[in-house]
Amino acid sequence: MTIFTLDKVRKTFTNGEIEEEILKGINLSLKEGEVTALVGASGSGKSTLLTIAAGLQPASNGQVIFDGNNMTAMSSEEVRKIRASKFGFVFQFAHLVPFLTVEEQLMLMLDVSESRLSKQARKAEVNKILLLVEMDHKKNAYPSSLSGGEKQRVAIARAIIHEPKVLFADEPTASLDSKRSKDVMSLIQNITKTLNITTLMVTHDEEMLSYVDHVIKMSDGIVLQSGD
Amino acid sequence: MNIAWKEIKKNKVRFLILGSIVFLVSLLTFIISGLANGLSQDNAALIKDLPKGQFYMNKDAEETYNLSKIDSDIQKEILNKQKDAVAFSIQMGFLNDKDDKQQSVAFVASTDSKLFKNVKDGEIILDSSLKNKGIKVGDTLTNNQFSGEFIVKGFVDQKKYSHAPVAYINMKNYQEIYRVMEMQLIFTPGGDSSKEFTGLQSFSNKDFLNTIPSYNAEQMSLNMIVWFLVVISGMLFAIFFYMMNVQKVGLYGILKAIGIKTSRLFKMMWTQMLFITIIALIMSITLSQFFNMVAPEGMPFHLTFETTAQLSIVFLIIGFIGATLSGMQIKKIEPLQAIQQGEA
Ligand SMILES: Nc1ncnc2c1ncn2[C@@H]1O[C@H](COP(=O)(O)OP(=O)(O)O)[C@@H](O)[C@H]1O
Ligand SMILES: [Mg+2]
Repeated sequence: MTIFTLDKVRKTFTNGEIEEEILKGINLSLKEGEVTALVGASGSGKSTLLTIAAGLQPASNGQVIFDGNNMTAMSSEEVRKIRASKFGFVFQFAHLVPFLTVEEQLMLMLDVSESRLSKQARKAEVNKILLLVEMDHKKNAYPSSLSGGEKQRVAIARAIIHEPKVLFADEPTASLDSKRSKDVMSLIQNITKTLNITTLMVTHDEEMLSYVDHVIKMSDGIVLQSGD
Repeated sequence: MNIAWKEIKKNKVRFLILGSIVFLVSLLTFIISGLANGLSQDNAALIKDLPKGQFYMNKDAEETYNLSKIDSDIQKEILNKQKDAVAFSIQMGFLNDKDDKQQSVAFVASTDSKLFKNVKDGEIILDSSLKNKGIKVGDTLTNNQFSGEFIVKGFVDQKKYSHAPVAYINMKNYQEIYRVMEMQLIFTPGGDSSKEFTGLQSFSNKDFLNTIPSYNAEQMSLNMIVWFLVVISGMLFAIFFYMMNVQKVGLYGILKAIGIKTSRLFKMMWTQMLFITIIALIMSITLSQFFNMVAPEGMPFHLTFETTAQLSIVFLIIGFIGATLSGMQIKKIEPLQAIQQGEA
């Protein structure tokens, strides 16, 4: 089932006098329970596309339809609510809150998403997700004592703890070595299937493509080819 | 979840430093305002203890009560009209004890009134600070302009004028020492300023205090220090939170990206500011009140609870404004920027 559609999305940046079109009419759709990878040369517009889809910046033109609603027509507060409750985010760096323990990072996310779970249910949920990302033994650790791979697994846990519909990941493995990258990728693949969410990720790394369902190749602001 | 508290717990030293500075600045503020109030008591308790009312002095005195002479007919007229009105005079002078040691005092003489001590011819009532100088009830004191002797009838607490202890004497004795028949001033309790008397100028309590030389200058400079300290503490908050926020721009961006409300980030800052300020204030209030109790008797220090409460509220408001001003940058943070900036 298609849950996310981009329809003729264009993005223009103005640098002083110069107007530059970075996205030149992008169409794509994402299905539930599938991982879609955006690949392409650096500067081809992958991150711009991902952040527009994620409601982190507006499109100059075109429509972003999520779950039947046109996000381009929403107020910034409505978009924030969707980001908080329906989307999850993983970036190149984990960006954890330095003064919260692993468990508290996830509790904060449940707070932000205005989860209706009771306090006890929240704790159980946190334990469940930490088991899933194999970080349950570091529940009370602060980010400063975790390795890069461990931080990224916590970041993934934070991105899915509130059961989002869409997971956005921009080069989630770029800061990790090959072994850890594969672990994180199989984790994302696994989560997408078990929680039946929709994942849109950007990657550089050809090796990671064996973990995804669709590959969309971008070049210079357009979709070159879309395949399985 | 209370992220404000979690951050304080994780970064104790940072918050401890801010807390200590706020504590020291507020303590200093309390001490100086206690000193200002103490000095003002020492300078004019005699006048400050009077109820609200109107002071009258001769227009020709040009606001210098020392030069004022109130015509005895007008005095009679006012005192007849208003039963609780009182005519009085204050003059600085000296008393000699039996060892011929000189004590500087402020002589006060008045017509019959509950507001002043009324003493008989040859008697004197003194401020209790003179007890420490070895003067007792029943002692005889002299003044070189006075033909007779004063017998000490008793003591009163906290009656000071121009940093000297007050000595209440009879009007007749006053007239002999200073060779004037007229009184300097008339005070009508509760009297309203609209009441005019020919040749007299009226003053409210506050206006009259300001005619006392040195009172105004002393209070103004001390109050200026107090307000400087208050402003400095506000700036401290602004600078501290500004620096903290600059360090956290990346973090705030990420939190905004995952959907946290900007208002929650502000609440976090306000909670931290309140927490630090309240603890620092509790400590400085306790310490300054303790100081109030143990301050040496000779030290003019008087810190009322009212002043402390007022200053505390001002501190909280200033801290709030400081933190909020520096928090305005949070509003401007774009989530996207933070993501692209790399590891926070
Ligand atoms: N906020 C912006 N202002 C101006 N130009 C931008 C902005 N964001 C991205 N760009 C430009 O858009 C192009 C695509 O960037 P990006 O989407 O980050 O590429 P990718 O992620 O594929 O490497 C780049 O040339 C970049 O400089
Ligand atoms: Mg990119």
